[in-house]
Amino acid sequence: MRSRMQFSTLKTIGVSLAGLCVAVVVSAQSPGPTAPVGIEKGYGSKSAPIHMEVFSDFQCPACRGLYEATLRQVIANYVATGKVYLIHRDMPLPNHPHARTAARYANAAAKIGKMESVISALYANQDRWSADGNIDAVVASVLTPAEMRQVRELVRAQEIERAIDADVALARQRQVRSTPTIFITHKGRITPLPPGGVSYQLLKQYFDYLLQQ
Amino acid sequence: MRRAWLIAGRLLLGGVFVYAALTKLTQHWTLFAFSINSYGLLPEWALKPVAVGLPWLELLLGLLLVVGVGLRYAAAAASALLLVFFGVMVRAYLQGLEIDCGCFGLGEPLSAKTLVRDGALLGVSLAVTIAVFFSEARRKRQLETNSLANPQGTG
Repeated sequence: MRSRMQFSTLKTIGVSLAGLCVAVVVSAQSPGPTAPVGIEKGYGSKSAPIHMEVFSDFQCPACRGLYEATLRQVIANYVATGKVYLIHRDMPLPNHPHARTAARYANAAAKIGKMESVISALYANQDRWSADGNIDAVVASVLTPAEMRQVRELVRAQEIERAIDADVALARQRQVRSTPTIFITHKGRITPLPPGGVSYQLLKQYFDYLLQQ
Repeated sequence: MRRAWLIAGRLLLGGVFVYAALTKLTQHWTLFAFSINSYGLLPEWALKPVAVGLPWLELLLGLLLVVGVGLRYAAAAASALLLVFFGVMVRAYLQGLEIDCGCFGLGEPLSAKTLVRDGALLGVSLAVTIAVFFSEARRKRQLETNSLANPQGTG
């Protein structure tokens, strides 16, 4: 009698655990493709199996840290090999007075195909332009005079403003609370990465796991 | 009545531990490792062992609490674990880190709400641990009293 009761208890626990597992797996999934927004600010091939979106503010030190320590290696090892498509999303924060202007320059540069060098220059010289607000000089240092003329015209365009606003709206929709925030899309499933703990070594292992799926 | 509270407490605690474990075990270990890393307390080499091992420990403790086996050890270990979790969460909150709690998988920001919840859980865990130790001590005393009152097997 007692052993039957124990068996019944264990069976109930087993069924409950299985149900809980299913519920956890279903709730963890967040289906849906990467939303197309404004100007495409991506590195690499759109057909890459992994899409990595990074919501950033050019004036935020943590965003610079992520770019310098992690994204550069991602670009070299995963984007260049066609495994990851890295998408820059703008989320200029109101407490950073020059962040939106920097975003305008980056978007304008993306429009003429020079996003990578401009973003790299903006992060490399963040301290300088954050102090004096002279973003134009930093961008001019990595573009030809002809390219710079195009960028200066585009910086004031409504299209650029709309592209930034679209990213900000997407950030709001995805409940992004801080920068940098990363979303990984793989096989139609979007996974937000916990903010603040993304190192290249961990990201590499996560990408390798996804690529084996 | 006291026994009913003890059972309710250990079932709640065990259920929470099992749920917390499953949210982590159903995703790749690196996602929990990102959360652990965001607290900035562990060196890089320690992230994988902790991210892989901790959910299994949570599952084991949760099951022991639910089933009621090895209660003293399970309750004490759960309290110790929750004390560590609560300590690192308070530290991160006071530092103003905008990170995820990492308690139940992805997407839960560390906030005053999570601190209150984990603090309450720690309170329940400590109460269960104390109750388990008291009831064990009482049972032992009762057994001793019974054996003194009814001495047997004097040969």
